[in-house]
Amino acid sequence: MRKKALASIFSVIMLVMLFTTRGIYAESLKLDVKEHVFKNGLKLLMFEKHDVPIVCVRINYKVGSVDERPGITGVSHLFEHMMFKGTKIFGTKDFAAEKPLLDKEDDLVIRISAERNKDIPDTKKIASLEKELEEVRRKLRDSVVKDEVFALYFRHGAAGLNAATSSDGTYYFCNLPANKLELWAFIESDRMKNLVLREFYSERDVVMEERRLRTENSPFGLLMEQLNAVSFIAHPYRWPTIGWRSDVQNITKAETAEYIKKYYAPNNAVIVMVGDFNPDTAIKLVEQYFSNIPSQPAPPRVKTVEPEQRGERRTEVEFESNPYIAISYHIPQIGHPDLYALDVLASLLSDGRTSRLYKSLVENKRIAVMAHAFNQISKYPDSFVLLAAPRAPHTVEEIESALYEEIEKLKNAPPSDWELQKIKNQLEAEFIRGLNSASGLANEIGEFEVLADWRYINTFMDKLSQVTAEDVMRVAKKYLVKRNRTVATLIKKEHGKAEETKETHKAGLPMTID
Amino acid sequence: MYKLKVGKFGDFNVIINKYFVFSLVVIAYAFSIVHSANLFAQTQSHELGHERPAVPPVTSPESEGGKKVSQFKFKPLNFVPPKVDRIVMENGMILYLLEDHNLPIFNMVARMRTGAIYEPPEKAGLANLTGYVMRSGGTPSMQADKMNEELEFMAASVETSIDRESGNATLSVLKKDIGKGLKIFADVLMHPAFPEDKIQMRKDEVVEIIRRENDNPSQIANREFRKIIYDSKHPYSRRVEGSLGSIEKITREDMIAFHKKYFHPNNIILGISGDFNKEEIIKKLNEVFAGWKKEDIQFPEVPKVERHFERSVYNIYKDINQANVMMGHLGIHRRSPDYFPVTIMNFILGGGSFNARILSRIRSDEGLAYSAFSAFQTSQDLGMFFVSCQTKLESTNRAISIALEELDKMRNTPVGDEELAQAKETFMNQFIFKFVTSANIVGQKVEIEYEGLPLNYLETYLDNVKAITRDDIQRVAKKYLHPDEIKILVVGDKERFDKPLNNFGKVNLIELK
Repeated sequence: MRKKALASIFSVIMLVMLFTTRGIYAESLKLDVKEHVFKNGLKLLMFEKHDVPIVCVRINYKVGSVDERPGITGVSHLFEHMMFKGTKIFGTKDFAAEKPLLDKEDDLVIRISAERNKDIPDTKKIASLEKELEEVRRKLRDSVVKDEVFALYFRHGAAGLNAATSSDGTYYFCNLPANKLELWAFIESDRMKNLVLREFYSERDVVMEERRLRTENSPFGLLMEQLNAVSFIAHPYRWPTIGWRSDVQNITKAETAEYIKKYYAPNNAVIVMVGDFNPDTAIKLVEQYFSNIPSQPAPPRVKTVEPEQRGERRTEVEFESNPYIAISYHIPQIGHPDLYALDVLASLLSDGRTSRLYKSLVENKRIAVMAHAFNQISKYPDSFVLLAAPRAPHTVEEIESALYEEIEKLKNAPPSDWELQKIKNQLEAEFIRGLNSASGLANEIGEFEVLADWRYINTFMDKLSQVTAEDVMRVAKKYLVKRNRTVATLIKKEHGKAEETKETHKAGLPMTID
Repeated sequence: MYKLKVGKFGDFNVIINKYFVFSLVVIAYAFSIVHSANLFAQTQSHELGHERPAVPPVTSPESEGGKKVSQFKFKPLNFVPPKVDRIVMENGMILYLLEDHNLPIFNMVARMRTGAIYEPPEKAGLANLTGYVMRSGGTPSMQADKMNEELEFMAASVETSIDRESGNATLSVLKKDIGKGLKIFADVLMHPAFPEDKIQMRKDEVVEIIRRENDNPSQIANREFRKIIYDSKHPYSRRVEGSLGSIEKITREDMIAFHKKYFHPNNIILGISGDFNKEEIIKKLNEVFAGWKKEDIQFPEVPKVERHFERSVYNIYKDINQANVMMGHLGIHRRSPDYFPVTIMNFILGGGSFNARILSRIRSDEGLAYSAFSAFQTSQDLGMFFVSCQTKLESTNRAISIALEELDKMRNTPVGDEELAQAKETFMNQFIFKFVTSANIVGQKVEIEYEGLPLNYLETYLDNVKAITRDDIQRVAKKYLHPDEIKILVVGDKERFDKPLNNFGKVNLIELK
């Protein structure tokens, strides 16, 4: 989990130390990332690795579902999808001809929705508008150059093309043959300045399908969504990154456009390059393509603070599935000193066959087939989560008490030196291995820059090596307590059928949530 | 791909939904099926032809941006893949070695010819269980707990598994611990203890994993689809995990015998990469595998997959709001002479993510699904061709119809020059990514030899792609796509589909147990 990334970075420093003797890295025990900030606030982070002629590039925006509000939850993720739909010069045969059609489409969608919202909708009028809409869409389809951004990247050999959205950030991935960096700069700078919300309404449907796939028909997905919604009562971490069903179905293009303008500006973005390139050339290239994109006022930070939890919360999810249990505890945000000990604690509990939860719940008591702990380090205070699956005929109740038993042990007796040393050894090795992957490094540097500052990784080793057995006991006593926890169980649904709300385009119309 | 918030916990894939939502990852998975074999391709000597598209642009790009990109001049990519040594040891073990001194790490990957295809049907799950407990049960000289502690303390791993058609073992260790790691690795391969308690523990876990399969629509679809495609007597039709009935019949003696039969040095291909010295490592291997002798192995006869194509339609009721569709029929085996044209044809049809026709229509045009792809899964004998897609119940028939139309079109209409060029250039220009790490490279060498592909597979890879013509594509489409005789399986409540499922044929109902 997030901890793993930290873990990895912990060892880069070790690695640099190993390398100093071989003269590969210049000095110091720090990860040597070169940084350049352009006039419009765009930041470029560079790490050279010349063994294979590839460059792994990331553009990350410091915006995620935490920046949304009820009504538009999921807009960050929807926008991530829209980024593959082209710009004024990509994805269209002629934008000048397409633009009026797009406007017409929006207008018709709004009018249809307004008519539907009336107390007594005029069905004839709706039918006629829909016919008109169909005609506009047919013309639009003719003007589109299908998925051109993707096609161009593919054709030039780009791999690992993907994008992701989290509660805290939006990430665009692209690994290129080293000679194609300019292609990337051209396409990406154009996406930053000239994006067109093309095929918006069908993509909203795609996201609904993604929601059905990942959340509504997945036991884990459903359980985690409910867990977060109950753990957080005020902070935006309570809603899912993919968005609530009703919001995904109804987000408008205008809302999306407004959101883009605010958050997808150069001063809210960071570019990461790892691989076989020359930093001076890279700076010139980014300057050439991105420097004319205007910055925007700094986007606001989330003001809402999650109030202290004052007692255990419990929730139950019925689903056609065998049972699972998830338990979350509130913890502080990135940068807080207690997080290092919580990292160690999570590792003690569930990393590997010698970890405590595996040995106790899976191997000795044999009541679970899976039991895991993860420490979620985020931009704002987040949660420490335990997740387990009982082995029939054992129950979630048995699992729950066994989990608490393990936590109590950590409060009452210090972990052994062997356990702590094992964890530190693993952190080192994991990063040394991680350095093998330009792609992995690019992800990590970019991820920490989104959460706080990539330099955070250069202090991590010291902080983590200072964690003592007493620290682990202390944070267990401080955070892993009953009044700070939320317990979500997934139980098998007995009868009845899942209800699907009506599935037509009804932009702007509030829909029921099932 | 993004490791931070997505994890594989033992047998469970977990995505912590609150955090990472990917726009394309499911499709990437689709692509990887086709490429799982393909990924194992490399060249030893060729410079990669990167300076300009290997196939000249056919038509002028349609967009302003595309036109600008076509004016870009790219420097050639100079890269000569490192040379991998192949050595056959006296005991018959085949080694692929690649020294890489960039980082103080060491990796080994081994392939053994064995698999669930060789187990008796009444003991289904034997191979898989053997592969698991080989490692989890420790050895007479090092009990499981001790082995776990030793390995985890030095941040190393030794893992073993036996799949449908092969056995696998890996070692990952830091340079300073190579000696210790090798010893454990060899001990596990040669002398697994198979203690009763660890066997029972794994059996119980497997039973729970099987019990939980029905929780997940795509697991149901995958399991049942295999049964529909292959004759029930053929081992390809079974789960490698076995069934609730067969698991309990497996004894410790069965496992010992299964291990004894297949684990011999002459049945192993070993790939070694990282920070080591070739002479030293060969010496060490001779030490740790000392006394392990060549032995003849009588492989049980596996029945040939019978070529049989017939349209049939299946439905499994599950209370979900999204239908899970699998449709397809028998495909090709890995050594098929048509492998390359089939791969490119499938890329255009449904394997090439957003460049593929199926995804383009089902997802991009109509917004009916997040994931929709086609794949040729290859194996030693005929693998499966399938289209997979998940769509809301109310658009199930529509999505199936589109996929069927695309199969027809692929058979009956030649692909465009531009479309073919796009596919070929993608494969040729992405070639560099097969050489990203040394572990990758030796892994591919091992795979090529294990699969029985020509050892110069890599040297000829680019030429094989380059040579493909429109006629090849249409020929293989006609030969390997059979929409009229396709088998269609849908998990979901058919009463709520947009049109009756029996529009595609008489519906056979499968009950979930």
